[in-house]
Amino acid sequence: MSRVRYRRRATGNRMSRRRALALGGAGVVGISVAGVAGLSLAGETPQTESASASAPLVISLRDAKKGTFDVFTGASKKTVTDKKLAAQLLKAVHG
Amino acid sequence: MSSHREAPEISKDPVADSSDLYAFVSPDAPDTVTIIANYVPLQLPASGPNFFEFGDDVLYEIHIDANGDARPDITYQFRFRTELRNDKTFLYNTGQIKSLDDENWNRRQFFSVTKVDKHGKSTVLASKLPCPPCNVGKLSIPDYGKLASDAVAKLKTGEKVFAGQRADAFFVDLGSIFDLGTLRPFEDKHLVGKTLFNYAGKAVNATDKLNVHSIAIQIPLHMVRRDGTKKVKAKDPGAVIGVWTSASRRQVQVRNNDGKADDLEVGPNVQVSRLGNPLFNEVIVPMAQKDLWNSLPPSDDKRFAGFVSKPELQTLLPVLYPGLFDNLAKLDKAKTPRADLLAILLTGIPDGLIDGFQNNTGATQADMLRLNTAIPPAKTENAFGVVGGDIAGFPNGRRIADDVVSISLRAIAGATFPLVDSTFKPDAAATAVEQGLSIKDVSGKLLKSFPFLPLPFDGFDNP
Repeated sequence: MSRVRYRRRATGNRMSRRRALALGGAGVVGISVAGVAGLSLAGETPQTESASASAPLVISLRDAKKGTFDVFTGASKKTVTDKKLAAQLLKAVHG
Repeated sequence: MSSHREAPEISKDPVADSSDLYAFVSPDAPDTVTIIANYVPLQLPASGPNFFEFGDDVLYEIHIDANGDARPDITYQFRFRTELRNDKTFLYNTGQIKSLDDENWNRRQFFSVTKVDKHGKSTVLASKLPCPPCNVGKLSIPDYGKLASDAVAKLKTGEKVFAGQRADAFFVDLGSIFDLGTLRPFEDKHLVGKTLFNYAGKAVNATDKLNVHSIAIQIPLHMVRRDGTKKVKAKDPGAVIGVWTSASRRQVQVRNNDGKADDLEVGPNVQVSRLGNPLFNEVIVPMAQKDLWNSLPPSDDKRFAGFVSKPELQTLLPVLYPGLFDNLAKLDKAKTPRADLLAILLTGIPDGLIDGFQNNTGATQADMLRLNTAIPPAKTENAFGVVGGDIAGFPNGRRIADDVVSISLRAIAGATFPLVDSTFKPDAAATAVEQGLSIKDVSGKLLKSFPFLPLPFDGFDNP
């Protein structure tokens, strides 16, 4: 089923700041998620489509001011907040 | 159209565009329900070498609500995968295709069927089922009917499935309806038409000789009913199911154009297309909200109830056909809520209004095709369904030959308002208006057994 539509979101599943920074250091798009197994616990991952450890990962900075990131891998989306990482990325992109 | 290109965004994404949904107790197996969801509308049969196919990147679903909460108790998911046999040719087929594994058929498509229960538990019922090829032409495919019937699969769990190209059996005079709401049989009575015509015209089926891609499933009735019972009475609320289809895409797509990696599609599936009752998003929902409607589940449809309660077309009909809809105009001016339409489209018709019939699912307002599974197929179908006295037809589910355009026109014109207000007298035009087409205006011939829709028109004879 499409996510969000009929499934309740899981809670208490926040990614640590350190983890997000580790991801941020590796780049924004197509990062390997080896060692980021916590992502597979994301509440919106359908039971049949959990992402493997080698699956690509896409991070989208949704709100730079608040440091809100959407992290996509496999069939899951997880939202993390890290103002410092957002600032670092913006600095890297815009100088 | 029923739901072909019915919203701005999905009109640009035909692979995920649901165009028609049918649900009826199967005439070839009355202890089953047949549900057909059409996608990829308006296919010109001669479209080689890249003939039409389902999207490998689209999740197609058929949902069944058995308890009236507008949430799926059963969902059947269909996923597709395309395989190329020969990467040295530009051709779809390099010779005649005589079987579903013919080596001359270069670009084949397969599908899997997954059943999701009300708890979200998924079970893969079948994988790598073959779709039939597109109907290229009689030189390439000498016996298309056999190929297509070979593609009907019986699952171990009791369902029959088919996914592949079919003729579009929906009939509508699209060219006239969206030219200021003209109906050719009444064009000489139209506000503008009467300045151009002094005679009634003959309707034209705009979707004739075009193909679609159909996902069809036939399910034993006891598997879709809330209590799992094989026998149920028509008055029993457990006899009624709500059906809709949806298509979803992954939330993120990254195009890798360096030739080194495939495009990337990640994230949850997000819904981009939905269809329950024909014409709901097309005619009821304002254009500014059509894309939103496509992204939402039926359980959110309460927010659209105002457009059902006072439909725009109700206001337009008396203006477009002066003098023919005076009673409707009074109803509209009085801002009387259309409780009849709210029932027909959003909650189902309660018991006691129509002899022997109900398809009510309770108080939750949701656009679903509601089918009373205890009502057997009609021996002789009336294309006007329930308003024509045939309770086995639309809006009791929807059969392929039901004239849903004319039924909807009559309902909006006020023909069904006496169901909720016996003092209302519909205009004579409300019970006479029709688009002037029937299933006879579809050049393809309906099959008498699953999957019922006509064989697709072939490219050679329909250039």
